[in-house]
Amino acid sequence: MTTDAPTDAETDLAVELRNVDKAFYGVKANDNVNFRLARGEVHALLGENGAGKSTLCSILAGLYRPDAGEMFLNGAPTVFKSPKDALASGVGMIYQHFRLVPNLTVAENFALGHPSTGIRLDQKKLQEEAAELGDRYGLPIDPSARIWQLSVGEQQRVEILKLLYRNVDVLILDEPTAVLTPQESKQLFKTMRQMADEGRSVIFVSHKLREVKEVSDSVTVLRHGRNVGGVATADAEAEDLARMMVGRDLVLPARTDTTQPGSVVLAVTDLRVEGDRGLEVVSGVSFEVRAGEIVGIAGVSGNGQRELALGLNGLRTPTAGRVFITNFDVTKASVLAHIYAGMSYVPQNRLGVGLAPGLTTEENLALKAFRQPPYSRGRRLVPSAFRSEGARQIEQYDVRGVRPGLPIRLLSGGNLQKALIAREIEMGPKVLILHSPTRGLDVGATQTVRQLALAERARGVGVLLISEDLDELLALSDRLLVMYEGEIVGQMNTEDATAERLGLLMAGKRQGEQT
Amino acid sequence: MTRHVVVEPRGLASVKLRILVPVLSVLAALVVGGLFLAITGENPLDVYRKMADVAFGSANGVSNTLISATPLILTGVAAALAFKMLVWNIGGEGQLIMGAVFASGIAIWLGPAAPSWIAIPAVIVAGGVGGAVWASVAAIPRVYLKTNEIITTLMLNFIALSFMNFLVFGSSSPWRDSAVSTFPTGQPIPTNARLPTFFQRLDISIFIAFGLAIAAWWLVGKTRWGFAVQVVGDSPETAKYAGISVPNKILVVFLLSGAAAGFAGALYVAGPIGALEPRSLDLGLGFTGIIVAALAGLHLLAVIPIAILMGALNNSGPALQSIGVPTSTITMLQGAILIFAVGGEFFIRHRIRLPRKESTPQEIPDGVEVA
Repeated sequence: MTTDAPTDAETDLAVELRNVDKAFYGVKANDNVNFRLARGEVHALLGENGAGKSTLCSILAGLYRPDAGEMFLNGAPTVFKSPKDALASGVGMIYQHFRLVPNLTVAENFALGHPSTGIRLDQKKLQEEAAELGDRYGLPIDPSARIWQLSVGEQQRVEILKLLYRNVDVLILDEPTAVLTPQESKQLFKTMRQMADEGRSVIFVSHKLREVKEVSDSVTVLRHGRNVGGVATADAEAEDLARMMVGRDLVLPARTDTTQPGSVVLAVTDLRVEGDRGLEVVSGVSFEVRAGEIVGIAGVSGNGQRELALGLNGLRTPTAGRVFITNFDVTKASVLAHIYAGMSYVPQNRLGVGLAPGLTTEENLALKAFRQPPYSRGRRLVPSAFRSEGARQIEQYDVRGVRPGLPIRLLSGGNLQKALIAREIEMGPKVLILHSPTRGLDVGATQTVRQLALAERARGVGVLLISEDLDELLALSDRLLVMYEGEIVGQMNTEDATAERLGLLMAGKRQGEQT
Repeated sequence: MTRHVVVEPRGLASVKLRILVPVLSVLAALVVGGLFLAITGENPLDVYRKMADVAFGSANGVSNTLISATPLILTGVAAALAFKMLVWNIGGEGQLIMGAVFASGIAIWLGPAAPSWIAIPAVIVAGGVGGAVWASVAAIPRVYLKTNEIITTLMLNFIALSFMNFLVFGSSSPWRDSAVSTFPTGQPIPTNARLPTFFQRLDISIFIAFGLAIAAWWLVGKTRWGFAVQVVGDSPETAKYAGISVPNKILVVFLLSGAAAGFAGALYVAGPIGALEPRSLDLGLGFTGIIVAALAGLHLLAVIPIAILMGALNNSGPALQSIGVPTSTITMLQGAILIFAVGGEFFIRHRIRLPRKESTPQEIPDGVEVA
């Protein structure tokens, strides 16, 4: 296996990295990495979380400077001093956490930092250009919408178009499909191919083999910060890539047994919830979750899933409908009443909603239970209980990287999620809502999270799994519901479900309309 | 490979660093202040020696320093408590004045006949209530209408100041001393409501201030309620998600912050001043409290030593005039200390190094964060 991606001639290389090292706090994120990107290709960067993909991309995008090694841009040695510097040289990156200003419109975000932006903004011209660009690349957007009003998928489109507006030659997309439906992903792949055909180079970061096989021309695989292979995609089998990526064979836990679900623990009838803009985004949703089953809700992000979860938790009072947790009507009840009724919730936004970033791991584990013994006696806290209970849960749920006094935000994504789920499970729920529980996690953490979800199901908890990852929904759920524009447009037992059938429903084709 | 300076975020600052940085900040401010003094023809060492002597060199000096520090401890607590919750109460000044108005009012109303064991607690409680009431004028709209408390609390400072001036200078209110017909002054507080002194001019208000600072620290750090407050201060969204009533917590903290400033006013009028005396209350004690809180890193116990340092500076100021140095030197030094301390925060949060080709990255320093 060669370490170089195959290319026709040296001059066709858009970017080359030679022997790049980058370390953080003594941990080598990139260790002697070589990377060659040809002009006009889609180049997949494959690896688990923590394999050094994001670091490599950040070096390419000028965010980090390598400790050692060289970079060549169009054959000339180059050092990027900043992301701005990289952008000026035609290299742009779309991060997993988008870099958009929420209070500005789409068009204004385009103009932000653009070299041609002067003192005065020609809003009309800008909006026309933005819309035109969106149409050309098959990524329709409303240029006058404000970023905070957009779904994650829509925000990603804005990020891509923003770079195209800058006319960059090298686009780096860090796990772009994590937030998309299969159809949206397909559209994105089309856009990627179109960009490559125009002579641009696209770096596609992913850990989904199917997608890598589908869209890329060549692949570089990273493991533990080193490159373990660079091949033309056509020459590699998915199994080879998987083994290169994880260094072992890949097994993710899935639901195997079929238990008999118990009584109804969550009943929702005709629920209506408003979105941030004050418009109804959950429009009359009804369903039940029984003890000991996992009900999956599929759908493209931005179709009301977030507001549904908020409505079910009392974080946003529904405008109509009823929510029952076991026998308790909690429709208009406080968040605390939901918690006491047996509702646990793992939100999509882990840091900032699910966890208090500046508090310690022990404190975060006590975030809901601190009101009762052993964490507090009367009005007084019991610090020793925070320590002992914290230590037990950190051990039991295998949360790694915890140091005393350290704010939780310094933990990795997988460990944050393990801590968050630990706390929610320790509350002893009757209903557990998981929203995108494995988004952005590596294979190991994904495995742990799925096992925990299945264990809760076996314990008789009713689990509601809201996800955009169809593989996950199909692997874990007993039943599936599909949400589109605030409504449940289809439901089926998992045995009858396929990715294609779900994909059509997610795109708005109702069950009756299917042939 | 080019050499370059790397500035990167530090994972966790050690306790040593967290103490060293403020100490070095104060020293750096003294050096800069010294340069300034040298330019104006003074010997900085002589000036600093004189200041130290005035502040700590005699029993009387220590007593005066602690008298100056007492209100600063409480306005410092007021600011730290609010800022921890991301409530930008910069109205300590006005809340202190209203605390003083309420406290002196109740003392005058009770009259000289009331026993001290009723009058003194009543004066202190009235001060807290006065501060809280004045804070509520900004706090209630902040919580329920989302008004900007920076603007409202700032404006309320001027209203409180004008109100106090009106009571003493502009009307024949009970707060005005009717016996003095020349220049208007505040009506002296009956001696039964005055705080007893125990060391030079120093009265028991210093203990009350210590006690209240410790109580605030205990409340935030050691109680169930305080834990909820910490969660709100760190991430209001997370607090809401965890079932904590965010508006309620913000309101209560805002009122407690106002009460702390109000206590400062009460202790000042019932202690060293002995009357609602505008010229003795309009010293910017509320604003200095913000500096104290910032220097203390919003730590409710660290407020105490910082307030004593600031009190020493304030106390030594007038003495400088006797050697021909303007009092405003003190204001300049306080400002310099604040600037250096805020700048020093950068070194607590970041590490700077000069990597060579073979870089040897450092480990995250061991240690625990000061809560």
